[in-house]
Amino acid sequence: MRRSERSRSPRTLAVALAVGVLVAACGGDNGDLGDGVTEVDVWIGFTDYRLDWTQERADEFSAAHADYQVNVQGYDSYEALFQATTLAAGQGDPPAVVQYFEVATQEARDAVAPSGDPLFASVEGALAGRTEVLGEPVVLDDVVAAARDYYTTDGEFSSMPWNTSSTLLYANGDLLDAAGVAEVPATWAEIEAACESLADLDEPPTHCITWPNHGWFFEQSIAQQGGLLAGNDNGRADRAEQVQLDSPEMLSWVEWWAELAENDHYVYTGTQRDWDGTKNAFAAEQVAFLLTSSGDATAVVQDGTDAGFPVEVAPMPYNHDVPYAGNLIGGATLWLIAGLDEVTEDGALAFLQFLNNPENAADWHRTTGYIPITESAVALLDDEGWFEENPYHRVANEQLAAADGSPAAQGALLGAFVGIRDVMTLAMEDVLVSGADPRSRFAEATEEAQALLDEYNSLYVG
Amino acid sequence: MLVSGRRPRRTLHLHLLLWVTCAVLCAPVLYAMLAATQNNAQLVNFQLWPGDSLARNFEIVWHNRSLGQFMLNSTVMSLTIALGKTVTALLAGLAFVYFRFPGRWLLFFFVLVTLMMPTEISILALFRIVSGLGWADSLAGLTVPFLASATGAFLFRQHFASLPANLAEAAQLDGASPLQFLWRVLVPLSWNVIGALTVIQFLYGWNMYLWPLLLVSDQRDQVVQVGLATLQQAGQGQLYGPMMLGALIASIPPIVVFLVLQRSLMSGLSLPRDK
Amino acid sequence: MPVYPVLLPLFAVAAVAGAMIGRAAWRFAGLPGYRGALIVGGAGAAGPLLTMVPLRACTFEPGRTALDYAVGVVAFAAGAGVAIAAAVWLGRALAVPGGVSRLDQGDRSGTFRTAAWLPLGLLLPTLAILALFLYWPLLETLRMSTHTVRLGAPRQPFACVDNYTRLLGPTLEWWLLLPALLLGVALLLGFVTRGGAEWPGSGALPRVRGWLTIATVLAAATALFGPAYRSVFVTTMILTSGTVVIGLAVGLAIAVLLSQPVRGRGIYRTLLIWPYAISPPIAGILFFVIFDPLSGIAGQVVETLTPWQLPNYRTDPSLARAVVILASVWKTLGFTILFYIAGLQNVSSEMLEAAHLDGANAWQRFRWFVVPALSPITFFLVVTNVTYAFFEVFGTINYLTRGGPSGATTDAMTSIVQVAQVQGSFGDGAARSMVLFAMVLAVTAWQFRSTGRRVSYSN
Repeated sequence: MRRSERSRSPRTLAVALAVGVLVAACGGDNGDLGDGVTEVDVWIGFTDYRLDWTQERADEFSAAHADYQVNVQGYDSYEALFQATTLAAGQGDPPAVVQYFEVATQEARDAVAPSGDPLFASVEGALAGRTEVLGEPVVLDDVVAAARDYYTTDGEFSSMPWNTSSTLLYANGDLLDAAGVAEVPATWAEIEAACESLADLDEPPTHCITWPNHGWFFEQSIAQQGGLLAGNDNGRADRAEQVQLDSPEMLSWVEWWAELAENDHYVYTGTQRDWDGTKNAFAAEQVAFLLTSSGDATAVVQDGTDAGFPVEVAPMPYNHDVPYAGNLIGGATLWLIAGLDEVTEDGALAFLQFLNNPENAADWHRTTGYIPITESAVALLDDEGWFEENPYHRVANEQLAAADGSPAAQGALLGAFVGIRDVMTLAMEDVLVSGADPRSRFAEATEEAQALLDEYNSLYVG
Repeated sequence: MLVSGRRPRRTLHLHLLLWVTCAVLCAPVLYAMLAATQNNAQLVNFQLWPGDSLARNFEIVWHNRSLGQFMLNSTVMSLTIALGKTVTALLAGLAFVYFRFPGRWLLFFFVLVTLMMPTEISILALFRIVSGLGWADSLAGLTVPFLASATGAFLFRQHFASLPANLAEAAQLDGASPLQFLWRVLVPLSWNVIGALTVIQFLYGWNMYLWPLLLVSDQRDQVVQVGLATLQQAGQGQLYGPMMLGALIASIPPIVVFLVLQRSLMSGLSLPRDK
Repeated sequence: MPVYPVLLPLFAVAAVAGAMIGRAAWRFAGLPGYRGALIVGGAGAAGPLLTMVPLRACTFEPGRTALDYAVGVVAFAAGAGVAIAAAVWLGRALAVPGGVSRLDQGDRSGTFRTAAWLPLGLLLPTLAILALFLYWPLLETLRMSTHTVRLGAPRQPFACVDNYTRLLGPTLEWWLLLPALLLGVALLLGFVTRGGAEWPGSGALPRVRGWLTIATVLAAATALFGPAYRSVFVTTMILTSGTVVIGLAVGLAIAVLLSQPVRGRGIYRTLLIWPYAISPPIAGILFFVIFDPLSGIAGQVVETLTPWQLPNYRTDPSLARAVVILASVWKTLGFTILFYIAGLQNVSSEMLEAAHLDGANAWQRFRWFVVPALSPITFFLVVTNVTYAFFEVFGTINYLTRGGPSGATTDAMTSIVQVAQVQGSFGDGAARSMVLFAMVLAVTAWQFRSTGRRVSYSN
């Protein structure tokens, strides 16, 4: 039924009105497309130009493989996609490939089909050592280390990373020059110093810096400082049963952040996960610095050019008091549904390799700003002179490559992580808006997060 | 007249006061109309005359963000609910007024009690039940749970009871079956009520927000009330002009319905609030 | 269900309470009291099973906390209460001659005498949908509220009343004692002055007492909730009372204005009531843009007309609540005006003129004649607007503030959706739904109690 409704035309409108209930209740599944053509359904969490790009690649793939038809379907957000997949799996009617965001990795590992078997199959396992599938060369083993480390679970590279980013610092070059700040700040102390200089300007920007109140930034900062978010080595050694939101690393980040806000350097847009509002503030020159995803590099630099100021791109500033461990990736990865018939599974695997082949990975990077996901894509871009023309596009890859590979820099694998992120941002909002004490508020948050994790684990363990 | 006694000389003050009140109450929408024609720069500069971006904003809203599809989805959903609910209510009213059968009071009570059960209270369970039926992202999931209501059934029960008693007896003497009686006698006598109920249910369906927000995740099946959020979280900075334009477009059907049917709506409004 | 020793006295209390209520009810109806005592006493004893069986009496397990016990007692009493009420209503109807048929107050004698399947067939769509999509979900909500439920999880373990106790955390606060003390004083005063000489102002005493009772009940409910839910409850109360009180006052003022004899009344009326047709989420979008800290016209207006700057409502908790209230008042005003206009048309003008001749000025006439005559409509509007504030304002909030900042606009409905959608805890969400249901029932009970007692009808 789902298919027929997508094309609701005025004619189907009349039908729907007359027999809407019956049609909806009895409609069958989408059938095969005729002889020998296998459909591969791919669900992704984009509805904008990134969906268009993916659909174009799917069409190219289908044209090259006459036996296959790849259908890409876009969802409003990762969360909506996550819910739709869970529901479809409960109905025994999931697609072949699903995009899950990084913090849903543990939930993807734990997800079960109605039969009780795992919902997803390991991509590495399904490839079974092949170097090509349906003529598409396998690129899984060429994926850059940061993404490989994050998505490697139980020693297996279980999903195919796709859109991957990291956190970067964007700076307004004109304002820095005016304030006499020669170098883009690299540490927290340098940020503070630069903010002081900016505040002393005759016509200072309304504030110095902003970034979204989003869980990702907490995770980044804790990783930088070598701290752990979850027990059992961030859930990398064994399932995490402890979560800690008031570790020294978390508190130094939160306290630094709160102090910046108190000194009027940091401006809070007032909304959690406000990617747009923070970007707007930077483009409108209300702030001199912006922390946001490298996936927005193209757009942020363009905004600056439009508004007539140069944008400097630098790694995310770190805490100068402790050794640097590394930054995390963000973004999402593509999971393969388990229990597909061999023909469909091969089609899905081949499409995953095709999507990330050097040409496509490089084009994806150029289109969006997500990092080139394979080493050969990096090499290809280098040969083209892309990084020389756009040096800022190199920063994210370099930042990720600087990580020390420890569990802290690998990032946490944690059940109920999506909800736990919400606990962090709520607590931070209380600190920023209501002046709550970071120490006690994040101790409370730890309890809330632990309750979520306990509840999650009680449902999946044992 | 009522409160101020008889002092008709004060009409100038009154007109002034009324005009100010109207201006204040209409201001949000007037501002929306203004903003719908502007781009972000004009908005930020508080330009008080129309901008030049109406066409571009419309392009964004209607094509890039597929508001047209959302509007169509909303229309199909609201019409299905409005017509479906009217039909089930007519049938239930007929059964309650013109039939006597064992357990009638119990069934009546069964329907009556639902007046105290707002759908929103059990919306999470409803979501699990409906998606368990495989109706997530479907017209069936959006409409079927709302195809019947106590309000509608009681409205027709009340209305039929107010009709002359001998109608049914005459129809029976003519050998008409109950359904023929409904179609040939009751419906022609009830157009006002049918109209009022359909309009109110259409508005109810059009204004639904929480249910589609929970149930629909495929963008192509989304209704306009929820779909407008794609303008708020645009990914490239907030699109104020398109947001306002989208809000205005989404308000056209209910406002047109309201203006055209103002009079009958006002009599229909004395219905209790439906769920 | 295991039977713990502590349950036995509880059952005894329920049975005795049922018997006493039954005896009184039957006597009141002129029937033999012992019969009522037997029937309703039995219902009182059996009723708690309604809640105790699904709960497996888990709250009375040895080693449970006092809070668990308390929640268990409430659940126990709720089961008994439902059964007693049903038994009184049904039993009394059945006990008199005529029996069941008395319940069946048909409007017609049933013109079509056909087999029962025909009317049942006509009712089937309605009954099936109500059963499947209202009754079942409500029972399912109850069930989920005692289980740990997560979307997609393979198990749903029983969680006793943990989802409820998580929301509770009773503390004793001064703001609870204050209205309680005042209420005590008011009750005492009422007792002392009863039958005694009237003293100036004593006529206002019952009204003061009524308000103090409401204040005490609300304060007690607030003190009952723990940190996880108290701010949600307070926010719900603030948003609801703000929407209702401001909306009704402004609506009445405009309706009075519109009832004056001026030319073009119809046009003014249309211009003033049409925002009613705008839906709550759309109101949210409009005010989101109007109050936007960067480009919002509201900030610009304040800056131009006053020496102050409008703070950013997205970081200012009180302003955020004010903007939500403003948006919902704006959206509901048309509805309120409409009903007040209709009501004002029915106010007897002879009575007003008589009052005028007696020397009552405009305000006195308004206060002592018009407002009381409008009270049935006011009452209806309070109930509809409260329901609106409970359920529909969610759409406005979700576009305007998403429940922020710092939870300042997270009301009961918003918290249900957040807990279920973001955190995935459907059990927690179901428990919060039942708490909201209790609030709805409280409003309904107040409505039943007040109808006919406090409302004065004008003729």
